[in-house]
Amino acid sequence: MNVLNRPLLALALFALALGNVQAQNKELIVGSSATYRPFAYETPSKEIVGYDVDIIKAVAQKAGLQIKIVNTPWTGIFAALNNGDVDLVISGVTINDKRKQSYDFTVPYFEARQLIAVHQASTVKSLKDLAGKKVGVVTGSTGDDIASREFGKTNTDIRRFESTPVVISELVGSGVDAAIGDNGVIAFRVQEHKQLKTVSDANFPKEYFGIVVKQGNKALRDKLNTGLAAIKADGSYAQIYKKWFQAEAPALPAQ
Amino acid sequence: MEAILWFGWFRADIIVEYAMLFWHGLQMTVTVTVICIVQGTALGLAIGLARLAEARHAPARQLCQYALRWPSTIYVSFFRGTPLFVQILLIHFAVLPLFINPSDGLLVSGELARNLKQNYGAFLSGVLALTLNAGAYISEIFRAGIQSIDRGQIEASRSLGLSFSRTMYHVVLPQAFRRMLPPLGNNAIALLKDSSLISAIGLAELAYAARTVAGAYSRYWEPYLTISLMYWLMTLGLAYGIKKLEARYGRGDTR
Repeated sequence: MNVLNRPLLALALFALALGNVQAQNKELIVGSSATYRPFAYETPSKEIVGYDVDIIKAVAQKAGLQIKIVNTPWTGIFAALNNGDVDLVISGVTINDKRKQSYDFTVPYFEARQLIAVHQASTVKSLKDLAGKKVGVVTGSTGDDIASREFGKTNTDIRRFESTPVVISELVGSGVDAAIGDNGVIAFRVQEHKQLKTVSDANFPKEYFGIVVKQGNKALRDKLNTGLAAIKADGSYAQIYKKWFQAEAPALPAQ
Repeated sequence: MEAILWFGWFRADIIVEYAMLFWHGLQMTVTVTVICIVQGTALGLAIGLARLAEARHAPARQLCQYALRWPSTIYVSFFRGTPLFVQILLIHFAVLPLFINPSDGLLVSGELARNLKQNYGAFLSGVLALTLNAGAYISEIFRAGIQSIDRGQIEASRSLGLSFSRTMYHVVLPQAFRRMLPPLGNNAIALLKDSSLISAIGLAELAYAARTVAGAYSRYWEPYLTISLMYWLMTLGLAYGIKKLEARYGRGDTR
């Protein structure tokens, strides 16, 4: 037993010491799921770009943080944060109470709303009209939450997929009647496909995207908030917003 | 003490909440596996025989070579030489829409196509991909099994006046089948596990259920450990069944 334990212990101590040294000024790993154009997506040269990426780069610069962005699949993104593979997540994550119980969020950096995508010929006007129809969503997304709440968590009419492009492919191929997702992404994808249109339900509440850190990581959250405040103050936030959404940035709440 | 802590941390309640999804998922996994084992074995036998087709005189000789041996060899090479995951995506998003499409499907179009795709789209693509893939692997098992039977037996049988098909049916296949059982069993187990890949196109089987729970709660131990146990139990059951079959058909071999 002892023989087995000692090298492991030494290794653990070594790792701990190494961790302490690195903590001084280490590069922070940013997790982002790059299937979320225009928030984050990969260019042909494997570079991750998008609104989220520009925001976090600007924030990091203002806050004096070294960052490295790593493409992390959406379904595993919170696990990656939990086990320390990434230090923070910026991936169009909606701030909600359920997530707040497990993670800490910065102040909002984007105002979002859910949007429904359907075929041009569809008569769907609201979420309620989707009852009994097949609805495509991204697993664990806000759209999934809304559909699960409205139609039941184990309802087989809800079809869950890994990413928004797959949901839209399925909608284009008539595998589902409708897709629900964040407005920025859905609007972008629908404009790529002429046979689709978007439907907005006024009952969908306003939501906000926030940057996510591990629960209790107050130091990092405060730094990020400082950076966000700085880019909002000097106009670079409005510039980034305009670059990706061709519109004026809406005023965001301070909390 | 440790056991108590462990159960406190393992949130079985979220599995219970999604119990119906796991139950339907289990049924779906079993259904897909059974269908694919049956179809894959039939296809594998046909392809395996096609790869062995030989004739002495023209035009049957050329026919065997160009219409049977070459196509079957290319088929096996393709389905064994490309990832099953890629085959599933290719069939679901590219091949199936070509044939079943509400606007201009080659096989089915219009309202029927829409209904088919919405209710059975992922099921059809998944079963098709898995069957085609399994057929390629199983054909190799059949080919090797048949080739392992001494050629003298075929010659003896033919010279006694039995036709080629009767020789196959009465002499070669019964013996070859005995030798093929262990690899066929392995293949069935692989098929059961591979069926989890179909969750990528939204088929609500076991892996899909686990992903849904993981997405909803950002908890990973509970759902994935649950389905791991379920898969494990099923493969144990399959292995047991195959062992019984081997004992049953292997009786002639033991002396």
